[in-house]
Amino acid sequence: MGSFRAHPRTTLPFTMSPLSLIFLIIGVPAFVGLAYIFVRGSTGLRRYILTRIALTLPMVFILASLVFFVLRVIPGDPVSSALGPKGSPETVARLREQLGLNDPLILQYARFLGSVVTLDFGNSLTGAHRPIVDEMSERFPATLELVIPAAILSLVLGIFGGAFAASRRKRTTDYSLRLYSVIIYSLPIFWLGLMLQLLFGVKLGWLPIAGRIDAIAGTTLHHITNIYSVDALLTGNWTALRSVLEHLVLPTLTLGLILSGVFVRLTRINVIETLQQDYIAAARARGIRERVVIYNHALKNAMIPVITLIGLQVAILLAGAVLTETVFSWPGMGRYLVERISSRDYTAVQSVITMFALFVALISLAVDIIYSLVDPRVRY
Amino acid sequence: MRRRFWVVALIAAFALIAAACGGTGTTTTQATTTTAAPTTTAGPGTTAAPTTTAATGPKTIIIGTTDTIASLDPADAYATRDWELIKNTGEGLMKWAPGSGDKLIPGLATAPPTVSDDGLTYTVTLKDGIKFGDGTDLTAQVFADSMNRVLTIGPDCPNGVADALVTPYLASVEATDASTIVFHLSQPVAYFPQLLATGPYIPADPNIFPADQCDLFPPAPIYGVGPWIITQYTQQEQVVLEPNPYYNGDYKPQVDQIIVRFYSDPQTMALALQNGEIDIAWRFLGTELIQQLESVPDVTVGAINGGAIRYLIINHTMAPFDDDNVRKAVASLIDRDQMADTVFGGQVTPLYSQVPPGFLGANEAFDTAYQAPNMAAAQQYLTDAGYSESNHLQLDLYYPPEHYGASTADWMAVLQQQLEASGMIDVTLNAVEWSTYVTALTGGEAYSAGVLGWFFDYPDPSNYLEPFVYNGGEGTNVTKPAEGNAFGVGIDDKSQQLTDLLGQAATETDQTKRADLYGQAQDLYADLVVTLPLFFEPEHVVYASYIHGDSMYDSPDTLNIGPTIEFNYSTLTTDK
Amino acid sequence: MALQTPTNEYEWSVELEKVGFVRRLLGARRWYGADWWLVAISAVMVLVFIILGLVPSLLAPYSPDVQVGPRFLAPGASPDLPVLVSLASSGITELGDLETSTGDPRPSVGVVRGVPTAQALNEQAQALNEQLAGTDKELRPRIVRFNSIDEALQAVADGTIAAAVVQSAEYEDLAENYPQVVEGKSVTGESAAAGGFLLGTNQIGQDVFSRLIWGTRIALLIGFSASIIALVLGVPLGLLAGFRGGKLDRLLSIIMDSLYAFPGLILAISITAVLGPSVLNVIVAIAVLYIPTYYRIVRGQTLSVKEELYVEAARSIGARSREILRKYIYPNVIPSVAIIFSVNVADAILTGAGLSFLGLGLPPNTADWGIDLARGQGFIQTAWWLITFPGIAIMLVVLAFTMMGEGLMEIFNPKLRER
Repeated sequence: MGSFRAHPRTTLPFTMSPLSLIFLIIGVPAFVGLAYIFVRGSTGLRRYILTRIALTLPMVFILASLVFFVLRVIPGDPVSSALGPKGSPETVARLREQLGLNDPLILQYARFLGSVVTLDFGNSLTGAHRPIVDEMSERFPATLELVIPAAILSLVLGIFGGAFAASRRKRTTDYSLRLYSVIIYSLPIFWLGLMLQLLFGVKLGWLPIAGRIDAIAGTTLHHITNIYSVDALLTGNWTALRSVLEHLVLPTLTLGLILSGVFVRLTRINVIETLQQDYIAAARARGIRERVVIYNHALKNAMIPVITLIGLQVAILLAGAVLTETVFSWPGMGRYLVERISSRDYTAVQSVITMFALFVALISLAVDIIYSLVDPRVRY
Repeated sequence: MRRRFWVVALIAAFALIAAACGGTGTTTTQATTTTAAPTTTAGPGTTAAPTTTAATGPKTIIIGTTDTIASLDPADAYATRDWELIKNTGEGLMKWAPGSGDKLIPGLATAPPTVSDDGLTYTVTLKDGIKFGDGTDLTAQVFADSMNRVLTIGPDCPNGVADALVTPYLASVEATDASTIVFHLSQPVAYFPQLLATGPYIPADPNIFPADQCDLFPPAPIYGVGPWIITQYTQQEQVVLEPNPYYNGDYKPQVDQIIVRFYSDPQTMALALQNGEIDIAWRFLGTELIQQLESVPDVTVGAINGGAIRYLIINHTMAPFDDDNVRKAVASLIDRDQMADTVFGGQVTPLYSQVPPGFLGANEAFDTAYQAPNMAAAQQYLTDAGYSESNHLQLDLYYPPEHYGASTADWMAVLQQQLEASGMIDVTLNAVEWSTYVTALTGGEAYSAGVLGWFFDYPDPSNYLEPFVYNGGEGTNVTKPAEGNAFGVGIDDKSQQLTDLLGQAATETDQTKRADLYGQAQDLYADLVVTLPLFFEPEHVVYASYIHGDSMYDSPDTLNIGPTIEFNYSTLTTDK
Repeated sequence: MALQTPTNEYEWSVELEKVGFVRRLLGARRWYGADWWLVAISAVMVLVFIILGLVPSLLAPYSPDVQVGPRFLAPGASPDLPVLVSLASSGITELGDLETSTGDPRPSVGVVRGVPTAQALNEQAQALNEQLAGTDKELRPRIVRFNSIDEALQAVADGTIAAAVVQSAEYEDLAENYPQVVEGKSVTGESAAAGGFLLGTNQIGQDVFSRLIWGTRIALLIGFSASIIALVLGVPLGLLAGFRGGKLDRLLSIIMDSLYAFPGLILAISITAVLGPSVLNVIVAIAVLYIPTYYRIVRGQTLSVKEELYVEAARSIGARSREILRKYIYPNVIPSVAIIFSVNVADAILTGAGLSFLGLGLPPNTADWGIDLARGQGFIQTAWWLITFPGIAIMLVVLAFTMMGEGLMEIFNPKLRER
């Protein structure tokens, strides 16, 4: 196939993709932490961790293989899609040959497995045939930049809101917070996004309604991690930072508010259950202030099941991210996936879903480990 | 105990975030090839960032677009965006005058080519003193080498322009002396001068593009013989162009820098234009955004009657469209005005012939033949075909819901309404995703009727008629491919007549006779209803009020972009 | 005589059972307080929506697919009627005056592009032609398009066209600039509705309110069908896994857990992309998403009930598995399933709307809220009513089901009762 040379673009002295950089910065302490747990934990704990890790890999593998075969089965083909009506049958056949689409399925599958193991993923089948890792390096940090603040917002709102509601049970505050959480949960994410766009973007004109950063600031920003706010901070580019934060407000609000509804409900229920326990009555009898009772005693113990639920909410976060990215034209992984499914870009779609599966599996693994550490009732 | 808990929890929290951000960590082995988009910052005298705030500083114009670059190699590039860059950094032997649809003038050549009597040899004289942006001279030999490069490696390049525009016509190219180029054609073709103005016929700098393979994205700076050079570019972000110091042709740049910025979707781009982040928005805004932008002050919307058409492809060998009367009935029921006004807010123009207005010999054959909407005639045709109020015609219409914009579904709904208004037709609309749809439709086996769009490769009526008649016609099946016959054999007398007519017109060198032949072809085309042309979409260029085109050329109101959809950056000026 | 198997009913319900159902219902109000109201109100709302879904034509004034008015008409605004204008000297006052004999050149009539007056013109011409059928006269206007009303009026004044059809309000603003031009009769086609539309019209002139009502049908269809399928598949699997345990349980649990953990919308997107756009495929895709939920809850409940003392007792006196399932496990499982079902319907409707918003799943011409929202997004700056109302509709339906589930959960979950 026509060759094209890729060229390094970071301003770092060594060449490394932004994804690798992020992974290293965060992976190293994580690895250290895991090693610590291993060394200090009991044999039962170690066995548990190993079993979980061993279970994660087949899950991801099965999911990725499923996606691979399903994509090959569906009708439609990336080359015809790209060339459109002007593609002569000879051109289409020749291109399919070049892209390896006419090779036997087993060979393509082997190639796919190899790419998953080395996390190489190959080149996109459409457009400029760029390496998928490059395309993901640009989109994944964008999704992160959206999802992390939203998660923090929803957790903060949810947990404190839920605890507050539980403490004022059966009074108006409780009912209004419950109503809030139920109404918020019933709102379609994309509709909330559209309404916020309409109100703050169009009618009031306070905030931008699409994109990650405005054009001029975008040209001055050096991309290091591809998380624009972090890059702006690192390079001291305050105009860019301001633009990025402005663009971040509405999408974060959209995603964060919707999820906070779920967390308010969950926290409230867990705190209420905890408050029924005997030791709470005992604490009250000892004369400890109500606020201390709620926040120090009840909330901490209620957090235990909430932690597991954080893991599950990641799935909802990612799903919500797809819709939010569409509404706000946010160039993240969710939009990428939807675009590439339409153009039948097999390699891109496979890679994205594998990445998602990996991501979710790792998070649930981490959450399970934390849960086993945090809950003193769990013994191995 | 508690302290240990917090320490562990903190470390575990790190682990959580680590897992959250974990990704392709093991690509360090391929560090040099898997980093993000290709770019360099080298180049003579580049400025780091565009400054649009300084009024007396270097003048920069920022153009926004949603097209991305697919290739910068002239031997490969086949998309309008790629050709735009290639035609601004380079020039062909022939070129279109800015803003015009029909003024084909010599570019690198001293005069239009001379043709031999058998129409197989074209001789051109090259102007003197032409240099590439890096100082390399353009001699006839260099040009011939560039053309031969297209012939040899072009067919292996991914975008396939060589197969469409070069190899079917050109056998070889040679330089007989320092400034004479001779083209040897494999078959006579009347529009060869138009072909000389297309992308693959523009010389590639031999120092940048290797002779033995395609290079879709060579490192910047990229030089050509045209008024601009590409000094830097970043995929999915921007391309920066600056004046070519060695250019001494007619279209000298009037600003110091042009930046083309890419947007992932038109909504963001429209907003960027309104906020002043970009000066010009060009391709594609879509009819909805155009309507919104028309009411914004300080922004001018220019509509260019370009060559993008929309039509119904009809399969002549599949029921029910194998019946003449059914085709004519459908042709008589279409109300193009309703479609244009209702679905597109008047942003598109009804089209009454497969050849859009402004091209050689274009007429309004479908209007003359059917005067649609004509309910009485339509009902008569349907009755003749054997249908009635109690025996409805069952029609299946197919369309791709997203490829031509979200309004496609609306336009199909309106079409359904119009057909069913006859009282004798039941229409079923089938939305089929583009990748499946285009394969099935152009294969000519699966669908009886579907919508499709078309855009010319070179501005000539042949490019609008031949593809739908020859060799199965993209799914119309009016001809069957045949051994040894380049055009295919017509399925009936009229189709054969049309095929012969087109073949005759392609080789006719007298323009008036050609126009007449194409007129006849269009009439026959309408009688057969080979396809059903619906409307053509003007291209829109939207620009801020301080940007001007050059009134020395045609169409300054649309920044000198004419029906050929060529955007010549050299005619732009800015007040800022 | 057989030993009496212990009844599985809660103590509090024994007394209530002696009273009639309605008394029981109303009596529960006192017991549960505000939560009772929650369930009651949401049940009424659900009933209303179900009725709307079954017979949309009851409330919807127009068919959702038909263009009934001009595009982008604001809620409550009345459309501008088209009129024929011509030169005062020509004597043409209505469309019928333009009839010609067969073979004569066609009269040119101007229209302004972007305004749907050409359609009214064609419709009235059609109607007049039907009256003229059989005579040698016909009405075949040749439509000439102009970029603005000024250009059209100028052309009429210059005599280059025989007449023009323009909107009456616009014409009245400019009438004094063109003294030679007079207004004739109005050109009415079927599409000229006299009144306005309650919630306005969308981008091709369909009534937003009618589309809203008809959208209920698709939303409920998807929500209920997907949840029922998920229930029918998930509950038995959960019972089986919980009751039998062993290898089957482990295998199923691994599969269900991976499905459950995976982001639902993304799975649904992939499935609909594979299967193609149709209502059935959307239902299947969403059903697959929710099977693990039923599985997990039912399995959990089965496991915990299995360990109870009375089950062990029943087994020791020889009760067969089927009996145990029927008498002890089902009754414990059913309340949870009911709660999950109602929340699931809510979630399924949301997921379905999300899928159609992304353009995947439903055929693009369906009257569906998600599709309307997706189309309306492009016009957010000019037509705010296109996105506001479908979103409110989704919210209300989902709210009804969620509230019902919430309320039921408060009632059935004994752990939350005050002691």
